[in-house]
Parts: sequence; C-alpha cells; structure tokens
Amino acid sequence: MSRTRRHVSSVVAFPVLSLGLVGAMVAGVALGAVSVAPGEVLGALGRAVTGTAAGLSDTLIVGVRLPRVVLAALVGAALAGAGALYQALFRNPLADPYILGVSSGAGLGAMIAFVATAGATMLRFGAVPLAAFAGAMLTMLLVVRLASTRGRLDPTSLLLAGVALSYTLAAVTSFLMVVSREQMSAIVYWMMGGFAQASWPYIAMIAPMFVLGAILPLLSTRELNLMLLGDERAGHLGLSVERFKLLMLASASLMTAAAVAVAGLIGFVGLMVPHMVRIVLGPDHRRLLPASLIAGAIVLVLADLVARTIIAPIEIPVGIVTAVLGGPFFIWLLVRGERRR
Amino acid sequence: MTTEHLIAYSGARVGYGATTIVSDASLAVHAGEVVGLVGPNGAGKSTLLRAVTGDADLLGGTLSLAGVDSGALSALQRARLVGVVPQQVTAAFSVEAREFVTMGRHPHLARFAVPGERDREVVERAMRLTDTLHLAEKPTDELSGGDLQRLALAQALAQEPQLLLLDEPTSHLDLNHRLQVLDLVRELARDEGIGVLAVFHDLDLAARYSDRIAVVASGTVAPAEIPARAITTATVREVFGVRAVVGIDPVTGTVSVTPVLRDGAVALVARGRVLVIGGSGCGSQLMRRLVLAGWDVISGALNAGDADQVLAEALGVDYAHIPPFAPMDPESVGRVVALADSSDAIVVSDVPFGHGNVDNLRIAAERAESGTPVVLLGEIEGRDYAEGAAADLWARARAAGAQSAADVDVVVRLLEAIASP
Repeated sequence: MSRTRRHVSSVVAFPVLSLGLVGAMVAGVALGAVSVAPGEVLGALGRAVTGTAAGLSDTLIVGVRLPRVVLAALVGAALAGAGALYQALFRNPLADPYILGVSSGAGLGAMIAFVATAGATMLRFGAVPLAAFAGAMLTMLLVVRLASTRGRLDPTSLLLAGVALSYTLAAVTSFLMVVSREQMSAIVYWMMGGFAQASWPYIAMIAPMFVLGAILPLLSTRELNLMLLGDERAGHLGLSVERFKLLMLASASLMTAAAVAVAGLIGFVGLMVPHMVRIVLGPDHRRLLPASLIAGAIVLVLADLVARTIIAPIEIPVGIVTAVLGGPFFIWLLVRGERRR
Repeated sequence: MTTEHLIAYSGARVGYGATTIVSDASLAVHAGEVVGLVGPNGAGKSTLLRAVTGDADLLGGTLSLAGVDSGALSALQRARLVGVVPQQVTAAFSVEAREFVTMGRHPHLARFAVPGERDREVVERAMRLTDTLHLAEKPTDELSGGDLQRLALAQALAQEPQLLLLDEPTSHLDLNHRLQVLDLVRELARDEGIGVLAVFHDLDLAARYSDRIAVVASGTVAPAEIPARAITTATVREVFGVRAVVGIDPVTGTVSVTPVLRDGAVALVARGRVLVIGGSGCGSQLMRRLVLAGWDVISGALNAGDADQVLAEALGVDYAHIPPFAPMDPESVGRVVALADSSDAIVVSDVPFGHGNVDNLRIAAERAESGTPVVLLGEIEGRDYAEGAAADLWARARAAGAQSAADVDVVVRLLEAIASP
C-alpha cells in the first residue's frame, strides 16, 4: 500500500526478517568452539524454561551462548534503530551514532562511571548506562550546535563536527585509561567492542533502556515520515518540529548508550543496516524502523558469530568485523552521493 | 461568511530575528477571496507568507488567523487552518504519490490512528481536483517538478484548510497546468469559501486570478486594491523600474502588462529633444528606441486609444492629444507647433497621411525649411491619402535638406550624428 513497485512488500519482508533473526540466533547459540546441534539448542531452552536444566551442555547454552546472542541482538537493534533515527532527523544518509560522535560520547560517559565506581559492582550497573546516556545526549547536542549556523544545520558540518568531537573524546578516554592503570585491561576489553563478557545481568541492565529508546520512535513513524519533507514542510503539516526532534534525539541517544554501555564502540551497524533496509523496503518509517531493528539484530548476531569462530579459538573484537564490512560500504555511499550530485 | 477575516495583519513587522524585512504591513484576507502579492525580488512577499506559517518572526504589530492570535496557535491547529504550497517542492525519497498526498491528513489524524475511509476520500478528491490521480502509484522521486507542485497542492488540499498560502505556485508548471491550477484555486475560493494569499511574479496572472492585489516594495505593503487600481503604469514604473503599457486585455478583460523598457537601460546621456510624428503604431518603435538612446522624446498629435498614444503614456512622452478618430483641429495644430518649437530635431515615421493628420507633416516640412534637422523614415509612396498634399509636403521637406532613413536603426544613427556633430 505505502510502498512503490520497486520495493518488497511488508507481507514478505517481516516474516523473512523474523525467521532470519530466529535462524541467526539459533546458529549463534549452536556454533562455536563446541558446536551443538540446533535441536539440542531448543531442547536446552525448553529445559531452562521448565527449570530442569542439567549437564554441561545446558550450562554452556543457557548460561554462556544464549546471553551473548541475546545481547548482540539487542545491541544490533539499538544501533540500527539509532542510525535510522539520525538519518531521518538530519536527512543525512551518512549519519550514524558512530560517525556523529555519539558513541564516543556515550563511551566517555560510561568510562567515567566505570572508573568512578571501581569495586562497587551494584552501583556500576546503574551508573554506567546512565552516564553513557548523559554522554551521548551531551555530545549529540554539542555536535548539532557546532554544525548549525543561524538555525540552519549544514550536513557536511554535521559530519565534520561529529568526527572531530569523536577524536577529542577518544583522546580523553585514552587519557583516563592511562591514569587508571589498575583497570586498564578491563577497559581495553570493553572499548574494543564485543560480547565476551555477556551475561544475563548485562541484558537486564540495557533491555529497559533499549525498550524505552525504541518505543517512542516506533509509535512516531508517521511523524518521522513527515520529516522526509524537510523541517519546514513537516511544520506546515502540523508537526512541532523542534520538540519532536529533541524527543527523537533523546530516544536515539538512549539506544546508543544502551549499546555502548555493554558492548563498547561498534561502528557502521547504525549506518549500514538502515541503508540496506531502505534499499529493499523504501523510506517509509512504518516499515523502515521496525525492519531496521530486526535487521540490526541479525547483522550483529552474525558478526559476533564470525568474530568468535573465524580464527577460533582466538576471538577477534566484533567491531573489527563490522568495520571491515562497513568501511567499504561507507565509501560506496560517499561515491554514490557524489555521482548523484 | 464572506466578511470573516482569515488573515489579518495589522501594523505587522515581520522578519528574522533582529532583521526586519517588511514593516507596518496591514492586510486582510477574507473567506472566498484571492489576494495576490506582487513586487520585486527580495521585497518580502514570501516573508509575509512565512509569518503566517511561523517560519518568519512577527516582530511587531499583530497577525491573527481566523480571529485567533497567530502566536497562540499550536503547529497542529495551524495545520488544520492553513495549507501551504511552497515555491520549490522537493521529494528526494521514494514513496507513492498517494502516500505523499496522504501526509496532508496528518493534522486531522489522532496520535496513533491510521488513515480511514474519510481520509482516503479527501485524498482521492484532492488528487482528482489537481489532476494527479493518474500519478497515484508513481514514486515521488521519479516525478517532474510540475507534477510535484500539483501534488504539493493536493497535499495542502488534503489538510482541508480554510486558508491557502501559495508562494509562486505555478513557477514550475507548463502553460496548461499553470492555468489549470490557478483556475482550481479560484474555484476553491468561490465554491468552498477558502481564502487565498498568493505570491505572483507574473503581473498578468496576478491580475487575472486575484480579487485584490497588494504591492510589496521597499519594505512596506501598499493597501490591497482591485487589480486595475493596484497595477498601473505608474506603480509598475515606481516598483519595478519598468515602463510598461498597462491595459485591459480585450480577450480576458483583465489587466495586462506589456513591458516596454527598463529605466536602468536608458542611456545616461543628454542628447536633446526630438519630436516624433507617428500614429497608428508607426511611431512606437521609434519612440522606444529614441528613449533608450537617451533622447527626450515628444510626439505630434495622437488620437486617444491609438497604439502610439498608449505607448506615449507608458513612456511618459508628451504629445498633442486629440479625441478618438477625430482630425487635427486648430488647437492641436497650435500644440504641435509649440512642441516643434522646443525640439532639437524631428523624425517623421512611416505613418499613412490623410486629411486628419497631414498637418503633423506640414509642421515638420515647415521646420525643415526654417532649419530644424528633420529625418524622414521610408518613402511617401503608397501612404498619401490626402490627395497629393502629403507627397508635396514630403518633397518640400526633402528639398529643404531633410534626410531620408530606410529603417529605425538608420534614424537612430542619423540623429546621433545631429546631436553630436
């Protein structure tokens, strides 16, 4: 109904995406240093639900592999959702949480909280995500401020300000890392981005943030579509543009913070996933946003699977996998944009 | 109903931040009427519209929409009241045209509602009226600028507004669609009582489709008046710096503006004064070219309603006035003699001469004999309808040293030589 002939129907897309997510998650749980048959995965899940878990295999599946896969899915969905929002709000195809510096801001916030709460594990679970959100939101507002002249947001300045701020924040983060020697290895692990330390408490920590960040945008897809027309036209059609933007930026920052707090800096997922979805499903956010969330989850679950199996038993940071795929994709977008102009 | 103010600017000052663009604007748009805004680029026409949508700032005075202070309206309330068709419509994304138009239903939809039967009907009607139904399934990024502009109008109509703001709504449309869109706007005003405030660049279109026109220039807004009073030779010259023939188009019956020359194009040299003997439009090209060349042009006797008389008025050329189709009388002869006395040179155009106007030629021939430089355009053969009198006068002038010119260019060159020997 809302798509053009070039695009795939929702009736096909959403079942395929859902099946894809289930498939990716089952594969993520089943494959690894010790592989388990897919049937065994489902069996273990069943036993876990009924409280009859038994054996080493069940512990591996429910206590190690499953939280890791669920966390990767949550983080992937959060990053892709944030990317889709930034691209809609700034009408800039190159916007994503990483490039805009929001990830770095969240990272610095999380890092400060991490260092400050050394030894207080319970406090850390609350403080790290909150500080990550504060860092993300402050960075976002600063980047927008820097890129605006007389109320107009320049798309090139936006990216430049994001990248520049990203470097500055990374420098501050490195400095903090050096001065807090005793925690350096833990910090380095976290910063490189990955799910090696995944556990159910982590999921409990970020799931509410993710839901809180995703719910408002999912309920505002019609308004997000108006933003396609530009700020002024959206206003003519009844949208309170400034207030809406702020709400959506807060939502995107919340999702970014949720991702960064547990998984460190993972680049390009927020950039690539919404683009791929847009190519297949079109720009209508009623389809684009939910599909990006699911696709983001699939991509990161698979990327993590690659990261821990490609040169097993050595595990590479998942950020490397996404960067290897994302870098060329970013260049392709840039070049395509140039040609179109 | 028709006396209801949909927009009322009262002593309004509009601009951006600290910058005032238009000051002391007072203008009202009533239900069912089309008010046109005309004026030079950058005069603030669009800014006036943008103050209504909240995109420009109201820096002083008041602006009310349907009786409510514009600042008190939320974006949503405003969108139910005002539909906007922007100057430039861009849609660099790919949704179906019908979906694009349906976006106009936003202000009428509850927070999480999906468009229902009535919304679909409104959209269907808006697309039918704007002749865009056949585009319904097309993706917006594959449409032409003209199609997008009509879709933008459909989108605005889908808002079911009481008021339409049009910023040069037809700038990207071909002739057919331009008239179609403006005819539609007129119908909507007449049949549905929609008030329209529209910026026009084309003065003829403004006059043809507006009930009243307000001229925006030099940072202020003139009171809105009927087209024939708002657009005159004087206002066109003052506001645009263009001398134009402003008349009533005999076919449409509306004001029509034919630009003759820009004041800025007139040569800044004082060449002296030249008397042009014209009539029946034969003197028009001469008068225009000589004014452009810097001459102070005056004209012999011209009948009211004659093409040359209309142009003389447009150019501000002084001439001896005679009633329509009347011959020259002693009074007008005396007037032409006086004009000839004040001239440095005389040009006789290739106008046919009869008993009614042969006195113009007589005066030229006599001046030639008394030493005034005279240039004669073309030959007299075939245009003497005064039983040989014109041919005799022509010969007298030639004998007295009047120069002959084959065309207007030669006339201009010969006179230049006379002015600067």
